[in-house]
Amino acid sequence: MAHQAHAYHMVDPSPWPLTGAVAALLLTSGTAIWMHFNSMSLMSLGMILLLLTIYQWWRDIIREGTFQGHHTPPVQKGLRYGMILFITSEVFFFLGFFWAFYHSSLAPTPELGGCWPPTGITTLDPFEVPLLNTAVLLASGVTVTWAHHSIMEGQRKQAIQSLTLTILLGFYFTFLQGMEYYEAPFTIADGVYGSTFFVATGFHGLHVIIGSSFLAVCLLRQVQFHFTSKHHFGFEAAAWYWHFVDVVWLFLYISIYWWGS
Amino acid sequence: MNRVLKVPVMLHRAFSSSARQLRNKVPEAQKLFQEDNGLPVHIKGGTSDVLLYRATMTLTIAGTCYSLYWLLVASMPQRKP
Repeated sequence: MAHQAHAYHMVDPSPWPLTGAVAALLLTSGTAIWMHFNSMSLMSLGMILLLLTIYQWWRDIIREGTFQGHHTPPVQKGLRYGMILFITSEVFFFLGFFWAFYHSSLAPTPELGGCWPPTGITTLDPFEVPLLNTAVLLASGVTVTWAHHSIMEGQRKQAIQSLTLTILLGFYFTFLQGMEYYEAPFTIADGVYGSTFFVATGFHGLHVIIGSSFLAVCLLRQVQFHFTSKHHFGFEAAAWYWHFVDVVWLFLYISIYWWGS
Repeated sequence: MNRVLKVPVMLHRAFSSSARQLRNKVPEAQKLFQEDNGLPVHIKGGTSDVLLYRATMTLTIAGTCYSLYWLLVASMPQRKP
């Protein structure tokens, strides 16, 4: 077996970038076909292929890191840079939607009644469910930090408990937000108020679901002894992502729910 | 020590299969994935890896052809009723 004389990771050839690219093709063209020809088959095929790619690609990364030892300190440094850059790109993604909200709400047009919230819109009370949601996410930020310290101190049971609690709080947020969506007195079609509200909070909700899934995978890995007290970057990446989701919510709450009501 | 405590060996085996105390299987996985067999990581786990890979690649190729079919359909003029 050829032994490398460097600490970097030369990955094995992998089919997943190709299958992922085809999944993206099928999802996008499938959405267009769904809209024009009333057929969901192409889009659904894309979704299945995306899920298969995600599962196998990340399974392979776990194998490379935890089972093959490829994630040396310089490799881990690169992974850290990568996750930080990705989260930064997500910050810019949300910045766009906040821009849209402030563009419309700081100078409301005559068509809206010259006021914000626009005439005819009944806003949600920011001190009811939205405030509970804020408390839930802040609490989950505490529990995920608790989980991190438990992992670093080698406290297996506490790590499992606090990580489980974090995920449950994430599910609770999603459930509460789902109820709010169902009960809301306005829809996405209700002018620019509806558009900015549901697009911004909707993408946030999607990120909560993604973050909860990432944490759930970490829970499974923690149960299976993958993490050591010194090396658990997968968990750290999930925790960073979760804090990012929490901060986005705080901005949403202050801007759209509170100031915008 | 066992003879002194009279702890039966059976207790040991019962423990590993109980749901509360999971056995650490990482060393076994490390041995499997570090075996010098020249296999790439995406099929190094065994038969289920190969089957899942084949299913995924089949969907990839079929999906590509399917999208080209729809591209043809979408390029054709719409039939007027």
